[in-house]
Amino acid sequence: MTIGLDHYLLLSAVLFVAGLFTMTTKRNAIGILIGVELVLNSAALNFVAFDRYLGPGRLDGKITALFVIVLAAAEAAIAVGICINLYKNVGTVDVDRASRLRG
Amino acid sequence: MSQLSSYEIALIAGILAPFVSFWILVFWGPRLGKPLAGWVGVALGMGVPLALAFYVLIGWWGFETPESRQHLSEAAARFYWANLGDVPVTVGVKLDSLTVAMYFMVTFIAFWIFFFSVGYMAGHSDEVGHRSLYHRFFAYLSLFGFSMLGLVVSSSLLFLFIFWELVGLCSYVLIGFYFDRAYASRAAIKAFVTNRVGDFGFLIGLMLVFFYLRTLDLDQAAANFAAQFHEGDGVFAGGFQLFGWSLATIMGIGLFCGAMGKSAQFPLHVWLPDAMAGPTPVSALIHAATMVAAGVYLVARVFRLMTPDALLFVALIGCLTLTLMALVAIVQTDIKKCLAYSTLSQLGYMIFGMGVGAWIAALFHLITHAFFKAMLFLGSGQVIEGCHHEQDMRKMGGLRKKMPVTCWTFFVGVLAISGAGIAGTHLGLGGFFSKDEILAVAYARAFEWDDHHKHVPGEHAYGMPNDEFRIANAGVGLGLPPYQGVGPLPDGRGSDQYGRGSEEDGRGSEKGGHGLDHDAAQSEAVFSGIPPLPRWMFYLALITAYVTPFYMMRCWWMTFMGKPRDQHVYEHAHESPLMYIPLAVLALGTVVASYFLFRPMIADAAPVATAAAMVLPTDGAMHTPAIEAAHHWLTLGVGFAFLVGFAIAIAIYRNGLETAERIKNAFWLTRGIHSVLEHKYFFDEVYEVLWVKGTLLLARICRFIDTWVVDLVFNLAAGATERLAAFSGWIIDAHGVDGIFNGMAKTSMDLANAVRAPQTGRIRNYVLIMAGVATAILLAILIAYSQSPQSVATLSRGL
Repeated sequence: MTIGLDHYLLLSAVLFVAGLFTMTTKRNAIGILIGVELVLNSAALNFVAFDRYLGPGRLDGKITALFVIVLAAAEAAIAVGICINLYKNVGTVDVDRASRLRG
Repeated sequence: MSQLSSYEIALIAGILAPFVSFWILVFWGPRLGKPLAGWVGVALGMGVPLALAFYVLIGWWGFETPESRQHLSEAAARFYWANLGDVPVTVGVKLDSLTVAMYFMVTFIAFWIFFFSVGYMAGHSDEVGHRSLYHRFFAYLSLFGFSMLGLVVSSSLLFLFIFWELVGLCSYVLIGFYFDRAYASRAAIKAFVTNRVGDFGFLIGLMLVFFYLRTLDLDQAAANFAAQFHEGDGVFAGGFQLFGWSLATIMGIGLFCGAMGKSAQFPLHVWLPDAMAGPTPVSALIHAATMVAAGVYLVARVFRLMTPDALLFVALIGCLTLTLMALVAIVQTDIKKCLAYSTLSQLGYMIFGMGVGAWIAALFHLITHAFFKAMLFLGSGQVIEGCHHEQDMRKMGGLRKKMPVTCWTFFVGVLAISGAGIAGTHLGLGGFFSKDEILAVAYARAFEWDDHHKHVPGEHAYGMPNDEFRIANAGVGLGLPPYQGVGPLPDGRGSDQYGRGSEEDGRGSEKGGHGLDHDAAQSEAVFSGIPPLPRWMFYLALITAYVTPFYMMRCWWMTFMGKPRDQHVYEHAHESPLMYIPLAVLALGTVVASYFLFRPMIADAAPVATAAAMVLPTDGAMHTPAIEAAHHWLTLGVGFAFLVGFAIAIAIYRNGLETAERIKNAFWLTRGIHSVLEHKYFFDEVYEVLWVKGTLLLARICRFIDTWVVDLVFNLAAGATERLAAFSGWIIDAHGVDGIFNGMAKTSMDLANAVRAPQTGRIRNYVLIMAGVATAILLAILIAYSQSPQSVATLSRGL
């Protein structure tokens, strides 16, 4: 059996759901950040897979994947900064405790 | 602008000095202390003005010729001050011999009274409520000096009125100097309020002058008045009449009302006897010598604005005052009250003199009276001071041994006021000439009128240029300018003769020429318009000339002669040497100041000051048939009145008070008369009922109206408003306006609550919602794809 597009898409979907699940269930801000990374990586995997199987010889998908990586790095930097400040202000990184802006 | 002459500068400086003294005493008085504050008042407040007055008097009367005097007085500067509407108000010095004489009289007498005050206050309490008001006394005196001198020199009726009110104020504060004593503050208020009544009339007169004569300058007003008279317009325009008086007459009477208040004439005389509550120097200065004479001075100044009817009114008031008050003086037992009533009577003489046209004589009497009455009051102050504040003459008697200087200076005053002199010669004291002259003119007006006034028609006073006694030489002396039934004049006499501006060289000879013509033509019509003086007025004045020496001699005899009646008072009596000097000086002034100095000065002022007056003043000293006859008659009639009066007084009071008591109780009529006189004709009682009670009643009525009409209306209105407000507050505001706003707020709130519900603050929820929404969108796209593949193809092409 050869590994085709479907496998990649399946893997990507698994990653996506795992990330989404992590985001919704974790109370730790760092955990949520990890979930976000998973979601982002599943998207990047999708881009690379579609690029490989649907548009051979084109670079669009690969470059977008690179953008996603850069974006994820920037996002991680900002998110960690937020986490540190959250800890400074609230004394915890439990996002349920940080509900001051609740409506 | 014209240049101020040295006389004007001196007069103005003399006014400012007491003003400066006033402020110095106000600010630094307590620090100067007693008696230094008093000496400051004497030196700066009156010493400086007196020195300047000497300078002016000597320069004016000694070194100026009549021509240069006239020139100076016409060149006197008028400074523009302000515009009242389109009427310019000017301020300046009214420079003529009358001003100089009055100025000198005021400063001279005031100086000695200030001087006397230092001695008087030394022995008197100056404390009110345990605070020394010594400096304040002299501050007030200085302010009075300022106001009185300002009044004398004012050239404008407006400024005259301002200073007039200022002297009234000074009188008020000085009567009420011991303001913690009820009688003093009551007397002060009485004086002030009574004067306001007179000033009300004065203001009406002033407004008429302002409105109809379009000026407030004395000379200009007189000129406009004469011009309007000849044109028959303005204040003389017919139409308005009140009790048969024309507007011009009402104007004159209005101005005279001021004089009635200040000079305490008949219906308004009630304040002056009460004003004796003030310290004695104040009584002497303000309520005998100077301020009360200001009314006479005012009449003299506005003499040219007086119609014959107005002057008849003046004469009537003067006549009533001089008679009634002299009779009251007979029964007074308080030495100061006795002098106060004699002052009233003498003021009545002056006013009467003005009324009959004896302009010169009335002012002459004013000045002689000022000297001897000031002295008499100072003498009484000396007596009161010496007798330990005893004012009742019944307790005195025999004081001549204890206070000889006072006794004999007082006697000089008694002689002077009684008109003592040797009839037919020029030997006599002040009152001898002045009162005699008033009576002579009155006699002429009452008896010789019909016989003499027609003889020399047309010879008019100001027809004689450069003649010192123009009035005297007017031939008849009773010459009167046209009064009734005269139309406009053919040769324009109205404007050019009276306008100041058009005159190049004074009231010169060119006027003399045509003055004769019209007067000749008009005199017959004119004279018929002026009634002779009612004879009863003359008789009353004549009889009072006998009463005056009687009560004055009575006063003197009761105080100084006979036997001591109260041993305690007698033993206490003493004289204060510091007060000798003023008494002696004023006695000397009474003896010499008079016929040879002041009378010629006033006569010098008369021609201009009364030029073109409707009733020409009569010079009682001139040699005309009418006056000669009057003098002849009067020499026999009153020449020896003083001896008769003295004799009766001595006869009654020689043996103490018993004779007087017997006469009083002789039968019911004398008792009744005595009672009426003792109660001063019940004026105070009547005024109490009429004015004081009347005012209170009016107040009560007003209060009733206020409570039951005004308040009722307002309470009803307030109640209605309150109900309306409650209604509108409950229905409209609470449910209408507030409903709208509350509803808006509630809606926003509900909306906000609905919107905030999803905002839980939990990131999980947000992520789930996001995921749900994304899923929903994906499902929607998939459903759309399954139904129409085409549209999805379009979509993918777009991607």
